[in-house]
This record gives sequence, structure tokens and C-alpha cells, in this order.
Amino acid sequence: MTPAQIEAYVDATAALLELPLAAEHRPGVLHYFSLAAGLAHLIEAHPLDITDDPAESFVPIEPSQAPHGSHA
Amino acid sequence: MNADELLSGSAAAIAAAVRGGDISAMAIVQASLVRICKTDKRVNAFTDVTAQRALQAAAALDARLAVGDTTVQDLPLLGVPFAVKNLFDVAGLTTLAGSKIERGKPAATADAPLVVRLQAAGGVLVGALNMDEYAYGFTTENTHEGPTHNPHDLTRIAGGSSGGSAAAVAAGQVPITLGSDTNGSIRVPSSLCGTFGLKPTYGRLPRNGSYPFVASLDHLGPFGRSAMDLALTYDAMQGFDAHDPGCVARPFEGTVDTLELGTSGLRIATLGGYFHDNADAHARDAVMRVAKALDANRVVQLPEVARARAAAFIISNSEGGSLHLPDLRTRAADFEPLSRDRFLAGALLPAAWIHQAQRMRRWFALRAAELFRDVDVLLAPATPCVAPTIGSEWIDIDGKRLPSRASMGLLAQPISCIGLPVCAVPVWGCHPSLPIGVQVIAAPWREDLVLRVAHRLQEVGIASSPVAALPT
Repeated sequence: MTPAQIEAYVDATAALLELPLAAEHRPGVLHYFSLAAGLAHLIEAHPLDITDDPAESFVPIEPSQAPHGSHA
Repeated sequence: MNADELLSGSAAAIAAAVRGGDISAMAIVQASLVRICKTDKRVNAFTDVTAQRALQAAAALDARLAVGDTTVQDLPLLGVPFAVKNLFDVAGLTTLAGSKIERGKPAATADAPLVVRLQAAGGVLVGALNMDEYAYGFTTENTHEGPTHNPHDLTRIAGGSSGGSAAAVAAGQVPITLGSDTNGSIRVPSSLCGTFGLKPTYGRLPRNGSYPFVASLDHLGPFGRSAMDLALTYDAMQGFDAHDPGCVARPFEGTVDTLELGTSGLRIATLGGYFHDNADAHARDAVMRVAKALDANRVVQLPEVARARAAAFIISNSEGGSLHLPDLRTRAADFEPLSRDRFLAGALLPAAWIHQAQRMRRWFALRAAELFRDVDVLLAPATPCVAPTIGSEWIDIDGKRLPSRASMGLLAQPISCIGLPVCAVPVWGCHPSLPIGVQVIAAPWREDLVLRVAHRLQEVGIASSPVAALPT
């Protein structure tokens, strides 16, 4: 991503998420987003196979494990 | 020994002295409270001291001993003062997680399960400890509470994010503490303050009742001045809790009883490559001393370590930012200035990056599993260098100028990324006056091995955790 692409993405996504970026915070946000973009690029450059699953896994919850009280 | 001398020693010795009637739990707890009072203006490890609660708990233990209650005599941490990072729930205190934002919120109504378990083992809670806000940092330069100072050199950082937890142990305020480790937050402060620290396997200890940072990576664990104290504390905390969805139902696998088995027969190797290249001469020297003491001559490699570290960074940045998105929207100015912009950026990361990072993480975990077919224990530096001075912006590692705050976790992050158990052991003599830690790493669920090796290193005098000389 170029610096201009990062600025455009950060501003658009922040607006979409209704996350206001104060003028004094924005340069730092762009800096850290650029850092993350560089690291994401590093990961994407590593070939992974379709069988390389993510580390996250979901464990189904039995009724006996449900917390008391209802959120329904 | 008197109470002050016992307080500077091990939790095991304190419990033995109380058990044997040589000293009361009350005397030990009072000594701890006095030590905190006399030293904490300079160290700033504590954010809350629960004196009344501690004195009541000590009195209750002494009363049970006085009537010959045999069940209390068997408690492994009988009368041992302890303190916890202020992201653990403590009944009656607001769980701050190092923040300004949580101030004024309702107090916790119950203790975190790990606090309950340590008290059931005879421990006496004396307070809550300083940390980086929401655990996002490696320095405990907390703008709201002030920085925690390294007891071995008050001008330097204690490390973080569990900086108060390491500093309290190094300052002789308490013999054991609890902290959390997402990317190195137990191992980094252990290294810089010269304490032992255990990051158990991901999923081993329940995290409910603690303020989360990154559910995919958060671990809880103990600090202490000996491997035996870590083992006693860790064993007392083991046990499944279904209220933490990341907690794995494992049987109790004790570590105290195997601590003396030594290292003979263990296949121990040093991690090279990334772990060598991102360490300075002091950190490399510490690993060499440990390897020599263990007669570990092999150097082995893990592949793609920098990418694993990148995965940990991306996952942490995204989950942390998303978790705090509601407050970032409405009160960003109240966040810690040192981490606010990172949280804001993290909330904006594309989903594809995070998904790919989780895939990279599993790929790396598989490579580590392959390596552990051939090796039992791995050694690596815990931090790239000794503690920098408070306020440092840059560190120099092997000719590379790196941002100080983010880089203190460079060597810890790849290991917690895949949830391996690690004991950080403190090594002295590599730097003229400061300690530096070495990570002793094993395959998942083998906390027994890392503690055995740490204990052996202490026995042969390579690792030690002296209380800092803080004139009172």
C-alpha cells in the first residue's frame, strides 16, 4: 500500500465505523496502520496452501454450559 | 529468621515457617505491608493496597492454626503475601486494567478464580499492581498512574505490561505475584527486573475474572524469586473453568513433585537465527551461559519466525482495537497516549489480514511441533537487551536502531503466538549491574519441563532472583 492508499483507506474505514480521528491522533494512526500493513505484507508473501487452516477454532456449547440468565 | 528476612526469601520458606509455628501469618503480612509502604513511593508497583483485607485474612489463618486445624497446615502457600496485576478482579476494587476509562466503574463483586485459588492455598492478597493500559505495552510507563521503576535501577523501566508484578517481587514487597502475558508481558518484565516468570501453555489457566486484551493470545501466570515458588503457585492455580472459552479441560499435571528430577536425559537446544540476530551481546551471553550450564550444544532453527511475530502483532492489534472500539469512538483522548493511536489503527485493519495471520500462526505452530519431536527444551533470550531508561524511544540491537517500546517483545512474541509454555529465568553477570532473562521453552502442556530446567539453573547458580537493595 502506498502512503496515499493508506490515508484513503484509514479515512474511509474510520468513517464507515463511525470512529472519529482527531487531528492530533491521525498521524499516529497512519504510522501504526503503515506498520501493520508492512507486517501483513510480510505474512501474505508466505505461500499458504488451501489446507492451512486458521488457528482459531469454535467449540460448540452444550446447554449445561450456558450461563444462568437469558440474553434472548 | 525474622519476618523481614523471610519476606526477602521464598514463598516456600515463608509457608514452612508459618506451618512450623516459627512465625505468624500476621507478622509476615504486616512485614509485607510495611515494606510496600517504605519502598513503593520509589518503585510505584502498587495501585491499591488491600491492607484491611490482608490483615483479616492473616488473622483468620492464625486462628485456624491456633485451634489445630490440620487442613490449614497443609496449605502450600500458608501465610504467603501475594499481589495481582490490576486487570484481575478483586472484590471491592474496580478492575482498572491500567486505564483511566475504567475508573469510576462499579467495583468487582467477586475475586477472579485464580485469586480465589491462591487464597484457598493459603495465600494472602495484599494489593493490585501497575501495568500498561489494557496490557498494550512492554514498559509500564503508565501515564495515568506514573511509570513503575525497575527496583535494580530506579531510572530504568520495569518492563511490561505486567511491570508492577515483576517490580513488586524484585523489590521484596511480596514473594509472588500474578500477571498476564499476551505477547511477552510476563517474560519481558521478568527479564528486566530479574525475576522468574511462568507463562503456561495457552488454555491452561482460566482467564475469567480478568480484563481481556486479545482473547486469541491472552495467558495468565505467576512471578516469583524461585522456580519452586512458581511451581507451588502454578500448581495451586491449575484446573478447568468452563467460564473461559479458551480454557482447555486438562487433568491436574503437578510440577512441584518433578522439580528435582534434573535435566539429565533432556534434549536441550538453543534457538538460533531470528533469536540470535535480534539480541544484543548481553542477551546472547545469557543464553550461552545457560546453554553451557545445561551442556546444551545444539543450535536449532524455527522457520519464518519474523512472520510468526508479524501474525501476533496483527492479531493483537486487531482484537485489541475492536475490543475497545466503543470507547475509541467516544473518548479516545482518555486512552493512554503511548498506545491510543495503535488501538485506533488496530480497529481499522482489514479482515483478510487477520484471517491470514491466524493461518500463519497455525502453520508456525505445526513447524514448532515438528521441531519438538527431536527436542524437549528450547532456549532463547527473553528480551533483546537489559532494561532501557524510562522514556527511551530507541534501542540499538546489533547495529540496528529499533523503537524501544515495541521491540522489547520481539523475542517473546513468536513463542506466545503459538501458546508454548515458557519459564523466564534471570541471569546476572552479563551486564555490569542488571539482569537479563532467558526463555526456557517446551512443547505444549510441558510446564513441568520448563520448571525443572529453571530449578536446575538455580541450583547450579546460573539463575537467581535477589531482592534489590532499596534503602528504607
